[in-house]
Amino acid sequence: MAVKVEPARQDPIAQLLAGYRTSDTIPDELLGSDRAIRPVWRAYLEALAAMQPQELAERIARGDQYLRDAGVFYRQYGRDQAIERDWPLSHVPVLIDEREWTALEAGLVQRADLLELLVADLYGENRLVRDGHLPPAIVAGNQEWLRPLVGVVPRSGHFLHYLAFDLGRGPDGEWWVLGDRTQAPSGAGFALENRIATARVYSDLYGRANVHRLAGFFRTFRDTLQDLRENDDSPIGILTPGQHNDTYFEHAYIARYLGLMLLEGEDLTVRDGELMVRTIAGLKPVSVLWRRLDAAWADPLELNEGSRLGTPGLLGAVRAGNVTLVNALGSGVVEARAFLAFMPRICRALLGEPLKLANVATWWCGQSAERDYVKANAARMTIGKAFSTRLLFDLDDVSAIGGAFTREMRETVEAWIDHGAGQLVGQEAVTLSTTPALVDGRLAPRPMSLRVFLARTRDGWKVMPGGFARIGRTAASAALALQEGGTAADVWIVSDKPVPSDTMHAANDKAFARQQPGELPSRAADNLFWLGRYVERTENLVRVLRAYHVRLAESSTAETPLLKLCAAHLEGLGVTRADEMPSALGATITSAARSAGHVRDRFSSDGWMALADLAKTVRAMQDTVEPGDDMSRAMSILLRKLSGFSGLVHENMYHFAGWRFLTIGRSLERSLSMANLLAVLADEEAPDGSLDMAVEIGDSVMSHRRRYAVATNRATVVDLLALDSLNPRSVVYQFGEIAGHLDYLPGQDPHQPLTPLRRALLKLRTGLELQLPETLGTAELEALGADIAALSDAFSAKYMR
Amino acid sequence: MLYDISLRMAYRYDFSADAGRHIARLLPADVPGRQRLVAGSLNIVPKPDEWINFVDFFGNACVEVGFDRPHSKIVYTMQSRVERRQAGDILDISPSLDRLADELFAWRDVAGSSPHHFLGASPRVPIEQATTDYARAFVADRPSVLELVKLVGLALHRDMRFDPKATTVSTPMLEAFENRHGVCQDFSHVMIACLRGLGIPAGYVSGFLRTIPPEGKERLEGADAMHAWVRAWCGTELGWIEFDPTNAMFAGEDHVVVAQGRDYFDVSPIKGTMRTSGPQSSTHAVDVVPVRETAKAS
Repeated sequence: MAVKVEPARQDPIAQLLAGYRTSDTIPDELLGSDRAIRPVWRAYLEALAAMQPQELAERIARGDQYLRDAGVFYRQYGRDQAIERDWPLSHVPVLIDEREWTALEAGLVQRADLLELLVADLYGENRLVRDGHLPPAIVAGNQEWLRPLVGVVPRSGHFLHYLAFDLGRGPDGEWWVLGDRTQAPSGAGFALENRIATARVYSDLYGRANVHRLAGFFRTFRDTLQDLRENDDSPIGILTPGQHNDTYFEHAYIARYLGLMLLEGEDLTVRDGELMVRTIAGLKPVSVLWRRLDAAWADPLELNEGSRLGTPGLLGAVRAGNVTLVNALGSGVVEARAFLAFMPRICRALLGEPLKLANVATWWCGQSAERDYVKANAARMTIGKAFSTRLLFDLDDVSAIGGAFTREMRETVEAWIDHGAGQLVGQEAVTLSTTPALVDGRLAPRPMSLRVFLARTRDGWKVMPGGFARIGRTAASAALALQEGGTAADVWIVSDKPVPSDTMHAANDKAFARQQPGELPSRAADNLFWLGRYVERTENLVRVLRAYHVRLAESSTAETPLLKLCAAHLEGLGVTRADEMPSALGATITSAARSAGHVRDRFSSDGWMALADLAKTVRAMQDTVEPGDDMSRAMSILLRKLSGFSGLVHENMYHFAGWRFLTIGRSLERSLSMANLLAVLADEEAPDGSLDMAVEIGDSVMSHRRRYAVATNRATVVDLLALDSLNPRSVVYQFGEIAGHLDYLPGQDPHQPLTPLRRALLKLRTGLELQLPETLGTAELEALGADIAALSDAFSAKYMR
Repeated sequence: MLYDISLRMAYRYDFSADAGRHIARLLPADVPGRQRLVAGSLNIVPKPDEWINFVDFFGNACVEVGFDRPHSKIVYTMQSRVERRQAGDILDISPSLDRLADELFAWRDVAGSSPHHFLGASPRVPIEQATTDYARAFVADRPSVLELVKLVGLALHRDMRFDPKATTVSTPMLEAFENRHGVCQDFSHVMIACLRGLGIPAGYVSGFLRTIPPEGKERLEGADAMHAWVRAWCGTELGWIEFDPTNAMFAGEDHVVVAQGRDYFDVSPIKGTMRTSGPQSSTHAVDVVPVRETAKAS
């Protein structure tokens, strides 16, 4: 039966809670069983009740704006493709009393210690199996028990350094563990973003509400990672599966936040048992990796052969004791649901004490007594795969809830259990506590689970004071996952007393050290270089298209010699039909975005959004733009957006090595486009108007007018666009730019002979400088284009392999 | 019987590889009581920049090699002298299928030799309804586990066609079974799936088979390349028994073990990754010569 609070006009809190209907059998975070507001929520509710709907809406918009500006997204998997979605923040935080939290912490720390001992046993003596506490099948049948790592003791002495637990509050009000996350737990970065956004929404309240800060946890963990290096100064890497992973944003975000090097498997290689990162300055050792890649994918040589995400030989480096992985490869073994059935017993066996924090009751169907029990009690259980690591209410392809299948099956539940046996577990159906969420502007109770994070520090396990709450979309518990329309909320651990304010920088007492430019991974350099090239390629295409359509609008026929020549040139640029919005344009922008996607940790979110906006604009134009005048105006819009992007990059980006690669990419592409353009439009045989068109595409109309007192002729145009070292659009100018940047990149030693790259550039630059307009004919321009393409290859060979 | 066994495997890349890392399991194993490696050597050209010897989870000797410089081919040459003892007749003291389950339940061990690793799906051998149903047909008369192993092995030999052109090294087990054809690798994977489907722990053995047929006997299939067969766990008393489904026989004096694991994934002779973009080709030659005959010829 639901209880209803009478709306009292005088009391704004009561008004706020009118219609907040909780269940009699399920605890609520906000209201106690007596329907009284829990004290920890009082200050928050007062603040919320004092807000007019308009004010609240503005505050929420402020929080959401932050998330958009920060570029927080998650990837939603649809039928055919994955799309990036806005982050679904629930704007009501979950408030937990500090005293309750402290009690919970003791249980979490015990469980963390227990899991460490358990993993150590599974990869060591296997005493638990020998003594009969754990059936062998739980180990031998577990995909995450990685045989090549059996017997390997981690260099740090510990398997687990960073953990998460999924918790729920059961019907009796106690917290339960729903799942252990030991492999590569995600969510801490999102928790941080939820916090920043939620603090924006309640900016005034947050400052005085005695909410424990999160930064200290991250700072301590970063210090721990640094300690794990064992006296070397190597960078700490965060290993990501890459931009197609659903939590890639978080990896890039944490890399930026903690100053870690974002690495993909391809960035790494193993030499003589040592893990190395390929950088623009050659191979550099890495001895600590925070792993966000599932272990099975980490080494195609010994684990999943099909993996393109891993590093061949990584296991060898681990066996040689030269690298610490956080967490150790193979730690994911205990995430399997089946372990939950044995945790109470394992705890007694390993720690000699009972579990302080219960986990959801679980029965493994590989044992006949348990199997019979599950069959007999299927009506009040959720039954699913034993070795899955997902929470049981994140349903598998086949699950049985309350004795019925989630999809059509040809057998009975009993027969399915007998068949599946050791592959299945039954878990007591979980009901989760509810917490308030804003639904259509009103508070409504929604089911909630909590992900909490623990880091091993010098002083033992530290629990992040807060976490990541998943809030159900509807009143039913099964739809918590973001993929299913759930939302995420911040978690406030609220004290009676003021809490220390803490930032990432507080205890940074070390002298600052500037990062050396050589620490840019080659793959990042490669992506930045190509980003520069693709954006410039887009700009060139847009300029040529605009020049074409301006003239098309004037002549009203495409059959003029000049337009025909221009269309032929466009064809060389991938545009098959000059009279419509070319798909080539969308393709180059997509390529640019793909390159940018690989380096989101090194790239401002403003720049990212400018690129996304550009892509969106092109898509929108695709079907609507008419040839001629309309098209030329559309191209002008794109040019303005492109210069917006360039402005962000070239005015705002710090001149790290990465920026130089981006800029070199741009210069290289620009010189190539120009050489190719001149080979067509400055040809002796080119029709009237070609030279003016070249000057226009080269954005040098004004310069030409001021520099030469005559109308365009071949000599002035070739001089201005190829040979003039003061024209930022000329070919020779680009060579000067590239040479200037090369001085700042590693591998330049004045005491050594010139590198092949340097020699190639010098030859190309000098050769061009020695030309005169009359000696730089079409054949020479074509040869120049080929030489520039070869320069790009030499550049890749030097820095990006 | 004493054998001189040699092997040559050559890989050629159309575009030279920048770097590569490989694991080789090529040398015959020491199997207490059955097989002794008298002498053995592995030679690799070009000379690897790194060379690491280690023993894997299942007890196989492995050589991990790394190449840091561009190379367009790698040639592995293995030479060995092996003594393989004749196995005595197998006395069937294996339990029934039901009793086997009880024995397994009581077996509390997950070391590399434990039968528990060989019960469930493994990387190349899924447990499929089709193979399980096929094997279940032999259970009706309540045979012992050893009899079952033999029945399934003989049936597969009868029903599957040996055809080196029909499958490749990466053909899925189920596909080979449905088409009832393949080579020793396919025969072995199918038999493993069948046995595991019945709850009998079964694994994969890679090795060599003697080349020259004894007088009056037919030449055995698979003798010109590395061979593969099956091992099955027939209870606590009898332990592991090896059966060769390709040749419908228990593995005997002619079978020389190189490596054992759950399936091909665990024992593949050369496993590796390289940084190259182009296609590759390989050649493969094996010689197994009884030492007495060498002496006669000279």
